[in-house]
Amino acid sequence: MTTHPKLGIAILTVAGALATLGCGSMKTPATASVAVSNAAVDNAAGAGGAEFAPVEMSTARSKMALANKAMAAKDYKLANDLAMQAQADARLAQGKADSAKAKAAADALQDDIRVLREELDRTSK
Amino acid sequence: MKRFALLTLAVALGACSSVPRTTSLLDQTRVDYRAAQSDASVARYAPLELKQAGDAMEQANAAASHSESDDKIDKLAYLAKQKIALTQEVAKQKAAEAEVAMSAKERDQMRLAQRTNEADKAKADSLQANQVAQAALDEAALAQRRTGEAQRANRESQARAAQLEAQLAELSAKKTERGIVITLGDVLFGVDVARLNPDGMRTAQKLADVLQQNPNRNVLIEGYTDSTGTAPHNQELSERRAGAVRSALQEMGVAGGRVTARGYGQSNPVAANDTAQNRQLNRRVEIVLSDDGGKISQR
Repeated sequence: MTTHPKLGIAILTVAGALATLGCGSMKTPATASVAVSNAAVDNAAGAGGAEFAPVEMSTARSKMALANKAMAAKDYKLANDLAMQAQADARLAQGKADSAKAKAAADALQDDIRVLREELDRTSK
Repeated sequence: MKRFALLTLAVALGACSSVPRTTSLLDQTRVDYRAAQSDASVARYAPLELKQAGDAMEQANAAASHSESDDKIDKLAYLAKQKIALTQEVAKQKAAEAEVAMSAKERDQMRLAQRTNEADKAKADSLQANQVAQAALDEAALAQRRTGEAQRANRESQARAAQLEAQLAELSAKKTERGIVITLGDVLFGVDVARLNPDGMRTAQKLADVLQQNPNRNVLIEGYTDSTGTAPHNQELSERRAGAVRSALQEMGVAGGRVTARGYGQSNPVAANDTAQNRQLNRRVEIVLSDDGGKISQR
C-alpha cells in the first residue's frame, strides 16, 4: 500500500526525538529538585521529624548528600532522582511528625475530659 | 525506501512493546495504593495527597507497562509508596485535629458544669456555715443569759444571806449545836406577865421580818422561868410567854405552821438561881431558828 513519505519521516523524527530525550540536559530540573528537597528536609526537621520519623529523616539526609555529590559530578539525572526520593522521604517524615503531635494533643484532651468527668461524678453524689 | 522506513519504525516500536513488567516493590506499592483508595478517612481528610499519590502510581504503572528497566520502575514505585504512606499520616493528623476541635467544646462544657457545681456547693456550704454560726451565737447568747441569771440569783442569795446575818446580829443570835438561837430576855416582857412590851414587840417584828424573807425557815419558841414560885406556875408562865411571842409573830403575818411554842418552866436554867441577876437571866424565851430546809433539832 502507499504510505506518505512525509508521514514516515515525521514518525522517524519523533522516534529519534524520543530516543535522545533521555540524554537531554537535566541540569536545571536537577538544581530545582535539589533546592526543593533541601527545603523539605529542613521543614521536616523543624517539625520534629528526627523524633517521630527517624528512619525517613536519616534516609532523606543521606540521599541529599548523595544528590549533592552527583550534582558536583555533573550527573544531573542521578542528582534529580535522588533529590526526588529525598523529597518524598522528608515529606513523609514531616507527615508522621505532624500526625503524632496532633494525636498527642487529642489524647491529652481526652485525659482532661476523663478527669473532669470523674470530678463531676464525684461532686454530684 | 518506504519498506525500510516501516521496518525501522517496527523495530523501534518493537523494542518498547514487550510483555508488561513488574517488580516486587511495584506489586507492594499497588497493594498499598488500593488500601489507601478504600480508606474512608483518607478520602475524607487527605484527598489532595491521595491524588498526588495516584499520579505517582500512574507513572510507576506506565513505566511497567512500557517495560522500562527494573531500576526505573522501582524508582517510580518508591516515590509512589512514600506518597501513599503520606496520605495515611495526613488523614490521621486531620482526624485528630477534628477530634480536638470537638473535644475542646466538650471539655469547656464540662468545665462550666464543674464550676457551676462548685459555685452551688460553695453557696450551700456558706449557707450551712451561716446556720452553724447563727446557732453558735444563739447558744452563746443563751449561755450568757443563764450565766447572768445565775450570777443574779447568786448575788441575790448572797445578799439575802448577808441580810440574814445582819438581822441575826441585830437580834444577838448565837450559834449553838441546836442551830441559831435568839434569846428574848426578861426585859422584853412586863414583870411577871406574858405580854411583850414595846421593845419586845420590836424584837418580834425583826424576827417576823427574818421569817418573811426566809420562807424556808421555821422557829421553835421555848419559854423558861427562874425558880421563883411554884413549878406549875412557872410552867404555865413559860408556856404563856412562849405563846405570846407566837401570837405576836402570827399577828405580824407569820404562818402558824411555822411557829411552835413550848414552855419548859424553871428547868434548863442557864445560870444558878442564886442572884437577882442570874434569875433574870433564867427568865427568858429562846427562839431556835431552823435550817434552810425547815428542820429544827429538838432539845
